[in-house]
Amino acid sequence: MRTLEYLGDPIMRGLFLPGIVTGVVIAIVCACLAVLVVLKRMSFIGQGVSHAAFGGMGVAAVLGLTGASLTAAQAVGQFSIILSFCLAAAMIVAWMSARRGTSADTAIGIVLVASMTLGAILMSVAFKRQGSQGPGWESVLFGAILSVGWADAIVAVIVSLAILVVLWWERRKLIFWAFDETSAPAFGAPPRSPRIVLMVLLCLSIVTAMKLAGVVLATAVLVLPGATALALSKKLARVIVISVGAALLSLVLGLVASMELDWPPGACIVGAMTLLYAFARLAGMARDSVGGAGAPA
Amino acid sequence: MNQSTAPSLHDHTLEYRGVSFAYPGADAPALSSISFAVHAGERLGILGPNGGGKSTLLKLTLGLLDLQAGEVRVCGRSPREARREGLVGYVPQRVDAELAFPLSVRQVVTMPLVVNLAPWKRVPGEALRRADEALSMVGASELAERPIGALSGGQLQRVMIARAIAPRPKLLLLDEPTVGIDVAGQRRFAELLQSLRQRLGVTIVVVSHDIRTIAAGCDRVACLARTLHFHDSPSGLSPQVLGEVFRHDIAEVFGDVHVDGHAAATCHVDAGEHAHHHCCDHHGHEQGAAPGADPKETPHANA
Repeated sequence: MRTLEYLGDPIMRGLFLPGIVTGVVIAIVCACLAVLVVLKRMSFIGQGVSHAAFGGMGVAAVLGLTGASLTAAQAVGQFSIILSFCLAAAMIVAWMSARRGTSADTAIGIVLVASMTLGAILMSVAFKRQGSQGPGWESVLFGAILSVGWADAIVAVIVSLAILVVLWWERRKLIFWAFDETSAPAFGAPPRSPRIVLMVLLCLSIVTAMKLAGVVLATAVLVLPGATALALSKKLARVIVISVGAALLSLVLGLVASMELDWPPGACIVGAMTLLYAFARLAGMARDSVGGAGAPA
Repeated sequence: MNQSTAPSLHDHTLEYRGVSFAYPGADAPALSSISFAVHAGERLGILGPNGGGKSTLLKLTLGLLDLQAGEVRVCGRSPREARREGLVGYVPQRVDAELAFPLSVRQVVTMPLVVNLAPWKRVPGEALRRADEALSMVGASELAERPIGALSGGQLQRVMIARAIAPRPKLLLLDEPTVGIDVAGQRRFAELLQSLRQRLGVTIVVVSHDIRTIAAGCDRVACLARTLHFHDSPSGLSPQVLGEVFRHDIAEVFGDVHVDGHAAATCHVDAGEHAHHHCCDHHGHEQGAAPGADPKETPHANA
């Protein structure tokens, strides 16, 4: 078992541990957000925002802010640049969608491609300059556990805690808004701020998940655990617990598969999540056929 | 006719004074010089065609739009203050809610009672008791534990009414409450509103384009087509009035016809619990409303 070998060896453990710590906090945060993302059908905007991060990563790469050996200040700098791109993308999509003639769907597609293009050019320039020392396309697109250093892990833990605190603080407004966006303001819920809060939290979580899961797969973490849990239960508290459980289980299975087979960790984690989702759907279908439809746990 | 331009009285639950509203870029105002007052415990029906300003009036009453001209008072407060204090209950036209949401009926009805509760506080037992009481008032106690997505259309509407009355509002606003409901369902709905009024003493404003909804049990009726026309009772709605209010709807269906109101239609409105309407053209065909009434001949007062 290469996994046990790696974790038993102090040097290897030191290399893998930041990625594992980051993975755990990302799994918990994204699993909580995933329930809202799935119910509010925000997966595609998440996809757009995560691809917008590619442009930010390009800028960070040109400035030399890549790799696992960043100082705390560099890690914060890299995080801020990528986050700015994601937030700007979300705002541009909202601005374009508010105008006649452009649907949100089209706006997301345009912003996604524009930022990917910018990222591709800038990263190509940076990688040529860095030569073999650069992180490489594969790790940017699909994630790399070894690209996560302690500075990144600390930033991830702090940001994740902040996201969880905001989610808890705003939970009643967010749930009312997410359940009934049209009528909630008539009952004293704020009309606009829940969407803004959720978008900012989404951007933060995507940027945090970016290094481990990669640009392409980061949004999967924000969808699959929630979809899995919603296939298994109709009680909100239980859905959140199952979502977090599914995300953590996928993380463990994915990381073990990644270490054993030397496959990209992001792909392995998301692959495990997809399998769990398929099992949950099958279990839900079996339950409905046995107990009749509409008799969820 | 009961429009009010006098200073606000304490027993006015809702009062509009000279309110006009236009959406940015629109050619015509959505509402023009609206003045009226609704007394405490009264049930007002506002009848109007689609695009006549009903939704705008509701949004202004709820404080969801900024006033441009005039004044709106709800229980003597601004609409926003009244909404924040839970003085206004609202039942939407369509349930746009995400019914796949993993929430029980009781959780949904409790939402307005806890949405602005301090985050560190637990949901108080009083809120749950009020939610259960509201469900009981609409005859939906047995649904409390059911998932919100597992209800029929009629059950869902009762739950939405329970959600609106749970904070014990002084004013209950209902937007097109009987769309898609059969005649028997409309009768039960009218009875439910009557029982809520008796038990809670709540003032009710029903907004609809369906005359049956408005006629069943409303004390007074107002017709809204950008301006407001008041009538002391549903039976005051003459074919000419309906013809003018629904003029644009009629023109869409029948073209721009100009027929004398008396020759064009006979219209009977029964304000009892079996409220219904029959509007027949001079060929004897049933229609939704009287076509082509000449506005100049309309005998009602303009607000």
